[in-house]
This record gives sequence, C-alpha cells and structure tokens, in this order.
Amino acid sequence: MKTRNLKRLLLAATIAAGTAGMAAADCPVKVGVALPTSVDWGKPIAETALWVAEMINEAGGVDGCPVETVLRDTQVDAKVGVDAAKALVDLDKVQLLMGAVSSGVTLPILTSVTVPAGVMQISCCSSSTRITGLAEEGGTNGLWFRTFATSHVQAAVITMLAQDAGYKKVTLFYKNDDWGQDMAKLVETDLKASGIEVLKSIAITDNQPSYRAEVTDALGDNPEAVVMALYPKEGIAVTREWISLGGTTKMVGTNSLKSEEFRDAVGLQYLGDFIGADTSSPRTDSASAFVEAYKAHFEAEPSGPGLANSFDAAAIALLAYHAAGNGATGAEIAAKVPMVTDPNGEKVEANVDGFRKAMALLSDGKSVSFQGGTGAVTFDANGDVSAPAVSWAFGADGIEEKRYIPLEEVNAFIASMK
Amino acid sequence: MIGVISYLAFFATVAAILAVAVLGLNLQWGNTGLFNGGVAAFFGAGAYGTMILGGPADPLQFGGFELPYPIAFAGGVLLAALVAWAVGILTLRLRHDYLAIATFGVAVALEAVARNAEWLTGGAKGLRGFSRPFEGLITDQFTYNLVFLGFVLAVLIAVYIGLERLVRSPYGRVLRAIREDEVAARALGKNATRLRLEAFVLGSAILGASGALYVSFYAFVSPQDMAPILTFQIWAMLIVGGAGNNRGAVLGAFLIWGAWTSSGFLLAKFAPTSVQIYTGSIQYILIGFVIVGMLLWRPQGLLPERIERTKGTGKGAARVSAPQS
Repeated sequence: MKTRNLKRLLLAATIAAGTAGMAAADCPVKVGVALPTSVDWGKPIAETALWVAEMINEAGGVDGCPVETVLRDTQVDAKVGVDAAKALVDLDKVQLLMGAVSSGVTLPILTSVTVPAGVMQISCCSSSTRITGLAEEGGTNGLWFRTFATSHVQAAVITMLAQDAGYKKVTLFYKNDDWGQDMAKLVETDLKASGIEVLKSIAITDNQPSYRAEVTDALGDNPEAVVMALYPKEGIAVTREWISLGGTTKMVGTNSLKSEEFRDAVGLQYLGDFIGADTSSPRTDSASAFVEAYKAHFEAEPSGPGLANSFDAAAIALLAYHAAGNGATGAEIAAKVPMVTDPNGEKVEANVDGFRKAMALLSDGKSVSFQGGTGAVTFDANGDVSAPAVSWAFGADGIEEKRYIPLEEVNAFIASMK
Repeated sequence: MIGVISYLAFFATVAAILAVAVLGLNLQWGNTGLFNGGVAAFFGAGAYGTMILGGPADPLQFGGFELPYPIAFAGGVLLAALVAWAVGILTLRLRHDYLAIATFGVAVALEAVARNAEWLTGGAKGLRGFSRPFEGLITDQFTYNLVFLGFVLAVLIAVYIGLERLVRSPYGRVLRAIREDEVAARALGKNATRLRLEAFVLGSAILGASGALYVSFYAFVSPQDMAPILTFQIWAMLIVGGAGNNRGAVLGAFLIWGAWTSSGFLLAKFAPTSVQIYTGSIQYILIGFVIVGMLLWRPQGLLPERIERTKGTGKGAARVSAPQS
C-alpha cells in the first residue's frame, strides 16, 4: 500500500515537473526583475522597467502574450540579490533577468545564477570593468548586456574633448567608488594614449567636511586643466575650494555633473571654460520621445540616475524576447538582440507606437534600430554598449548642448587610441 | 521539481555558510560575553584572504597565487585569526558597549581599506574568479551545487561538534565564568585577559572560515560583502536562535535567512501589482517586526542556553540540565 502511494506520488511529481518544464511557452511570459527597490534611487529605476513592460503589453505583448514582471528587491546586498535571482530562475523559470544596479550584486548573479542556467541578463546601471573582463574570458556565454554606457565611451569622449581644447597637462579628481575608480583608470589610460600627461589622479571620498588637502595636492603641480569624475554633491565642494585657492577654471566633467544645482552652487561666472561630456542624452527624436512619454506617465522629469538606461535595457530585452518568440531560451533571446539594435535596421521610436511597429517588423524577420532614451545603442561582443555622445556647457538658461558626436565618430576615436 | 531542489540546495548552502559565522559569534558573545560589533571585518578577512591566495593570477593585482584550495582556505582562516589577534590586543580591555563600538569601528576601517587598497583588494570592484573545490571533476552545475552543499554542511557539522565539545569542557566553563563574573574567575586564578583573547581569536577564525566558504561559493568578493548589514544579520540570527546555544545559533541562521529571503519571494508572488514596487520596503519592515517581536517576547531566543551542572556530591552526582535564567 505504502509503495503504491509512493509510486503515485512520484508519478504526480514527474507530471508536475514535466508541466513545469513546458510552462515556459505559456501565457503570460514571466520576466524577472532584480533591482534595489528599497533604496531611494533604485525605486524609479524599477518603476521605469515595469512601465516598459506595460507599454509592451499595450503594444500586443511578447509574441502575443502579455508580459508578467516578477520584481524582487536586491537590497544592494550580494547575498540577497543572488538569492532573489536564483529564485526567479529556478522557481519562476524566467529566461530573461533584468538587474542589478550595483556591480557587486550583478557580477555574482551573473557567475553563479544566470550564466550556469543559460538565462539572459541585462543591466541598466552596472559599470564595473570586471564584467568586461569576465566577458572577454568567455565567462558570460553571450548572455550578458548592459545599457550603462558611461565608463568606456565617456572616458573616450572626455579625452576627445580635452584633446580638442588643446590641454597637455591635466589632473584628475574622481569619486571614490566603483564607478569613479573605473572611470579614473579609463580616463587616465585614454589621456595617456592620446599624448596628454596626467599629473595626478586624486580620489575624492564622499561626505568629507573639506577637500583642502586633496585640492592643495593638485595645485602643487599647476595643471593646465582638471578632469572631474564626480557627483554634484562632492563636486560642488571640491570645485569651490579649487577655485577659491586659485585653481584653473578649465574643467572637463562627466555627465554626473550635469546639474543645475552644481552650476548654481559653484557660480556661472566660474564655469565659462567648463566642458561636459555625456553619452546619455543625444539629440535624436527618440530621446525626446522617451522624455515626453516619461513625463506623460509619471508626471515628472526623468532626472534621476539610470532612468533612460533602465528604459532601454527593458525595451531592448523585451523586443528581443518578442523576436525570439515565446518559449525561447535565454541564449535564443540574447541572439536576437543585434536584430533590435541593428544600425541599418528601420528606426523605431521609444513609445507604444514604436514598439508596435518594431514588433511587427521583427515578426517578419526584419531588423530594427531601436532609438532609445540613451540613443541608438549598439552592443559589442562583451555586451558593453557604445552610444553617441554630446559635449555640453553651462549657460545662463540651463545646460546647453554644444556638439553632437555621432556613434561612428565615437567608435572611430576609440579605435584610434588602440 | 528540479528547479525547487536546485533553489533549496542553493538556499541551504548560503544559510549553512551564515550558520558557521553565527557559531563563531556564539563562542564570542554567547559563551564568553564579548560583544563583537565587527563581525563583517573577520568574515571579510577570511573571504579576501582565501581569494588572494587561491584566486587567479592578474597582472594588475597583488595576489592571485592560485594555491591549492585547502591552503587558500586555511590562509583565509589564519588571516581572520591574525586580524582578530591584533584587534583583540588593542580592544579587549574594553567591556560591553565600548568593545562593541571599538570593533564596529575596526570593521568600518577595514571595509574602507578593502574599498581603497586597489592593489591588494581590487578596490570597489572587488576580486573575481576562483577555482572552486572539485569543480574540475563535476561538469554538471546542478550536481556540483549539491556536492558543494555537502561540503559546506560537513564544515558546519565539524565546527558545531568542535564547539560543543569545547563549551562542555572545563575550558568552556571558564569562559562562562568570565562572562558571568570576571573578578570571581580571576580570584580563582584564571588568566581572564588571555582567555578572552583566545576566545575572540578562535571565534573570529570561525567567522573567517565562513567568509572563506562564502568566497568559494560565489567566486567573487567586494567591499559590499563587508557592509555593516552583515554584522546585523549575523547578530539577529544569534539573538533569535538563542545566544549561548550552538543548536540555537544554527537554527537562527536558517530561520532568519529563510525569513529574509522568503518574505521577498512571497511578496513578489502574492502582493498585487500596484504595490509591487514597495515590496522591497515592506520586506524590511517584516524583517524588523520578526526581530523586535523576538526581543520583546522571547529575549532568550528560541533555544535558550542550557547549563549543565553537577548536583550533589560524591559518586552519586547526577547531571541535570536547567535553563539559564
């Protein structure tokens, strides 16, 4: 009797396992999202990703099926984030995972969850070059993408701008976190490669009452210009002390300083020679399409960090999912990403109509060029993004864009340094 | 079905790794009364030590000696013990909350070192890549995860048995005597300073072993893994499980880690879509409730400490167990 019951149980379990295996082709299509929703800046990033899924559903869903997002909080804790990703992959059977933000969470998810399980992973905001290293070694199996363009592209653009301005000797201030350390290293390498001398590279740690020691250290070398890879908060403090102690007003800054708060706190009269670099708001119709759609939906400006990146990550991934078809594996979805970001494909906009058009074209086997919130992004073999860039400056009425640097020019410049 | 087993094995591996750390803290706090507020530092020392010794060579990086796993593991444990020894000599004269603040400060300082000493620790990017034990032998990831779980459980059981024997020995009784009344212990001729240091170093070495297992599992370590939240998690596990009771420490680790992760899973599953975005914050509130509730209604933990004492005199002495008040 007992054995019979056991057999029945086993049979039931086998059937259950069988149906669970086939559930991948069912409606709705489950998509995993692992983002730090309990952190103030993480919530809008997650909201943006969920909003994209809504738009895709409005446009007809993935392969005719509505998308169901399963959102998990990573708490910016590697243990929690990896556990959430593991549950999404093993229990919810997702083939596509969006996340995470911190590289310290993204990387262990990639190595211990998504790559072994063959699930595609796309991140809006992880910037670490460690991931590029992993991809170069073949550790990501082509399953990894990110829409955060800043580090590599932006370092090249900063170098380009410094070179165009004719600076020969510069000093570097960088934020002392993973983004800043990466950026500093890349900028330094790029500057040296194009013949510009880097006198010093100085780490700026958050929340210090004063940066006099760091500023004095830089002043000693009398640099011709300074490069700033800082956020507005410490950027304001450093720039004020720098200028009040007689430092040069020739500055080159990253997109993180693109804030009116920075301009007002430092004072416009000192920022006449300031040149900014940015990858994330090119002058294409799509960027404004994204901004308008965002404003209409959230009734606010998309001004937080990573929002346009999160939008593009979700949109590209879901469009690729559509192209691969319902029931596709992570590798099959990843293989369709180039079809969504094909520079020669038909341009599609970042709104519901654009998605509808893109999905129709993709269903016919035609490739499209998705014009996202961060521009017409393309991915290289390591899943890193390349994007068009702009230079900008501070003006009386706000931030003025000076020059649009198309994708081809950015890529050519990066190639010229190698 | 395979998915469920795979997830549960994964969960059990992480919980068992954390349980090793809770056992280490239990020796310090539960048995000796040392308030270690820098759990993350010793965990991190073990993790970084193992990674530097056993990790892959990197021309831009110190370390990456690619030593065999047992040596790398032992090195991590040893590094944690050395850090504990140095910290202990400096701070163990302090009592209770002062010791807690001092060790917490040490942990913050060491996290800053890990974040900034790029040549040594890879800076904020951390260190990556680690050839895990027996990985070459088993190609199937699912089987490997089960084997690794077995390895972690073996370490957990070894640490548990070792500590059980230790705390039941005369040595363990002296540690408890120091915890209860140091002056009395000294009056009996016990070298309290030295014993406190020994317990601190041994407990920290166990915390280091937990860090070494952690880095073996994820093949990655970054300063984020040394964040103060880890200290909080380990403490919560010990308090809920029952300080002074090794079984309680292990139970607490599995329960708190289970509550921590399952709350997120259940919220994602059952919360309506409109509140999906707030589940992260709700999860934190739930975790807080569990811990506060435990402290209010069962401060001694789920499995309180049981002291074995000898009753009566002479040959007929009977051993009885009594819960400690």
